[in-house]
Amino acid sequence: MYRYDEFDHAFVSERVEQFRDQVQRRLSGELAEDAFKPLRLMNGVYLQLHAYMLRIAIPYGTLSARQLRMLAHIARTYDRGYGHFTTRQNLQFNWPKLSDIPDALADLASVEMHALQTSGNCIRNVTADHFAGAAADEIADPRPYAEILRQWSSVHPEFSFLPRKFKIAVTGAERDRAAIQVHDIGLHVKKNDKGEIGFAVYVGGGQGRTPMIAKLIRDFLPEEDLLSYTTAIVRVYNLHGRRDNKYKARIKILVHETGTEELTRQVEAEFAALKDSELKLPEKDVQAIAAYFAPPALPERAEGWENLARWKKADAGFARWVQQNVQPHKNPDYGMVTISLKPIGGIPGDASDAQMDAIADLAEEYGFDEIRVSHEQNLILPHVALADLEAVYRGLVAINLAEANAGLITDIIACPGLDYCALANARSIPLAQEISRRFGNAERQAEIGELKIKISGCINACGHHHVGHIGLLGVEKKGAELYQITLGGSGDEHTSIGEIIGRGFEPDRVTDAIETIVDTYLGLRLDHSENFLAAYRRVGPQPFKTALYGSAAEAA
Amino acid sequence: MVDKVLTANRLTDGIAVWLDANGKWSTSLQEALVARHNEAVAALEAIGKKSYADNEVVDVAVVEVQETNGILWPFRLRERIRAQGPTMEYAPGYAPADPEFIAV
Amino acid sequence: MTKIWRETGFVENDPWVIETDEVKATEEQKPLLGLDELIAKADESNDVGLGVLIKPADDVRRLEPYLDRLEIVAVAFPAFNDGRAFSHASLLRQRLGYTNELRAVGDVLIDQVPLMLRVGIDSFAVTNATALKRLSENRLPAIPHHYQPAVRDADAGKGYSWRRQAKPAA
Repeated sequence: MYRYDEFDHAFVSERVEQFRDQVQRRLSGELAEDAFKPLRLMNGVYLQLHAYMLRIAIPYGTLSARQLRMLAHIARTYDRGYGHFTTRQNLQFNWPKLSDIPDALADLASVEMHALQTSGNCIRNVTADHFAGAAADEIADPRPYAEILRQWSSVHPEFSFLPRKFKIAVTGAERDRAAIQVHDIGLHVKKNDKGEIGFAVYVGGGQGRTPMIAKLIRDFLPEEDLLSYTTAIVRVYNLHGRRDNKYKARIKILVHETGTEELTRQVEAEFAALKDSELKLPEKDVQAIAAYFAPPALPERAEGWENLARWKKADAGFARWVQQNVQPHKNPDYGMVTISLKPIGGIPGDASDAQMDAIADLAEEYGFDEIRVSHEQNLILPHVALADLEAVYRGLVAINLAEANAGLITDIIACPGLDYCALANARSIPLAQEISRRFGNAERQAEIGELKIKISGCINACGHHHVGHIGLLGVEKKGAELYQITLGGSGDEHTSIGEIIGRGFEPDRVTDAIETIVDTYLGLRLDHSENFLAAYRRVGPQPFKTALYGSAAEAA
Repeated sequence: MVDKVLTANRLTDGIAVWLDANGKWSTSLQEALVARHNEAVAALEAIGKKSYADNEVVDVAVVEVQETNGILWPFRLRERIRAQGPTMEYAPGYAPADPEFIAV
Repeated sequence: MTKIWRETGFVENDPWVIETDEVKATEEQKPLLGLDELIAKADESNDVGLGVLIKPADDVRRLEPYLDRLEIVAVAFPAFNDGRAFSHASLLRQRLGYTNELRAVGDVLIDQVPLMLRVGIDSFAVTNATALKRLSENRLPAIPHHYQPAVRDADAGKGYSWRRQAKPAA
């Protein structure tokens, strides 16, 4: 993974001192709140219902054991002993004191981390496939480009006050595990016929109030043009994105209102002027960055095969966990392990400081010191020898994070919701917990198969409900919570926005509604291999509407 | 007129607070000073403005409550959650909100 | 009270005025014209040494034929978080090759001044008290390590082509 050089260390230290000065000026009253707010947002400090919230940047979701231990330390020292992993591969702390934050940032800087630009109207954390560098189906590693974009976008003088936030995601396989088509810019790293690396460029995807699927504006952008082209897009957005209405200020609205063709023309015109500028990427720089992401030297561990078979036969729970939570690695002696942060009845995406420390230990001993955060709020150990899977499993059992539910119905994504968030209209977490408990039975989950439930507590869609196979959107109606159900959303390479199927459900009726949906699916699927999404795409919403609401006329 | 209290978040640590009868910011909603007429509400708002200008608090707001048997109960679910904390077990040593208080 | 600041210090007797219904340029002063006005005046006269005020929604590229007639371009930040003028400044300097005075007007706050300097703005109309104080003490909250090239000339940053290092103060 990327290691800070002297330049990076200097920059982060300077940034910490700059923010320390800004906090001190705020606390002394020299800086008023309205001037301080955009500055604190640029350092990831929000004000929520109960307290401040600090969002730590985890670049493209990659962490070392040392860094994860520091996050545990910060949870213990400055917070209430836990952190929450988010749908943008970051980590949130819910109870830091403003007066402590400069010290917490200094601690983070000591392990090459920061909270820069995780909020505010600037370019946010560049996210990437959480299986990058390990997945058997990967064509090209997206992380070097995510790293280059991360550096280039840090305190960019022209792009620090955009109309609104700006999110970029990068993927390098045909299977899109980074949901690039619901990002402001989505990049698909690929190779052309000559084997040269380039990007398919998508612009104008997003969720929130008006979910939109990104438009492909460039089929193949040569590697060396990455920064010039991105500059062109962001400059056009900075100049023309709407600033009159917060809910219409993302680039997706600009694309929609300008028209894809015209917007592409503007971007290409700006790019033409930038193409041969100092932004052109020299090959040697790309290679130097890529070198940080060279795969670890993976020793042959052929004994894993035999051991694995034996262990699976001896322990059905272990067998289930391997089946569900371990994915094929490029190297056949290895697997990619998903550590589900969705224990049955637990808070999705939360981890205690003790759990973080334990995972750091496992990563160090069995995982080549690498951990990933997925946008589905789970942690990944991307390189684990099959021969070590049993030891890793036991380690996870000991900390209650061995649920074999990756991608299954209880692997729920939920935003913090009204339990924490000042923007929310309804709670997400208790609903996730209830659904999880209802469907907690292992056999039943396996029977149902892949089913991604995503819950958002408000229209801002931080729970990504628009791309849930089942999406739940919490709204407020007459002072009470109500949940709208959408079906058929997906954030993969065949991105689709979920369709609302009818009237909302009160909190105590939602789980039954999910049961009805699941039972309907089980009743009409061709066989076990046709998962929920495929079945929905085949039959459409009608069978589900009828099951939930009776005749078609009753559906809202 | 509906009863009202004044709430904000402390600048230093962001913790939700309510203005009490002594003109101090308390971390307990139940200590809040209740304004029952327009003049009292105006007075609360003036205190809030000053406290914001004095850099003691941020996000000052007036919240509607009803008082039943001495217990102050905000009409908005959001404010009830603010008063009590998250509604589930979220960290050892911190009690979740009282479900009866939270309920609609 | 608004003062004009440049890296060489506060400027006395600055002649430039943004005209409103109430405020007009006096004999010794010169008006910063709106973009359409400026273009009209330049087309109708032989005047040089003109000044223009670019508003956020203006297309700054329309100035291209008139650059040699301009002594000053002011770019407006009506609210400090309206960042369009950062792009106007960048385009003026890098695309159009404008070399005369480029001034930030509007909601100019100390924390944005270093960014404005980097996009080629070289004078500042400052009203905010904290900003005035910090500028008079020459205490700018700047980070000398840059992760991207910008208008302002900087040394190459170590490691990669996109990095820059602020030149040491003269």
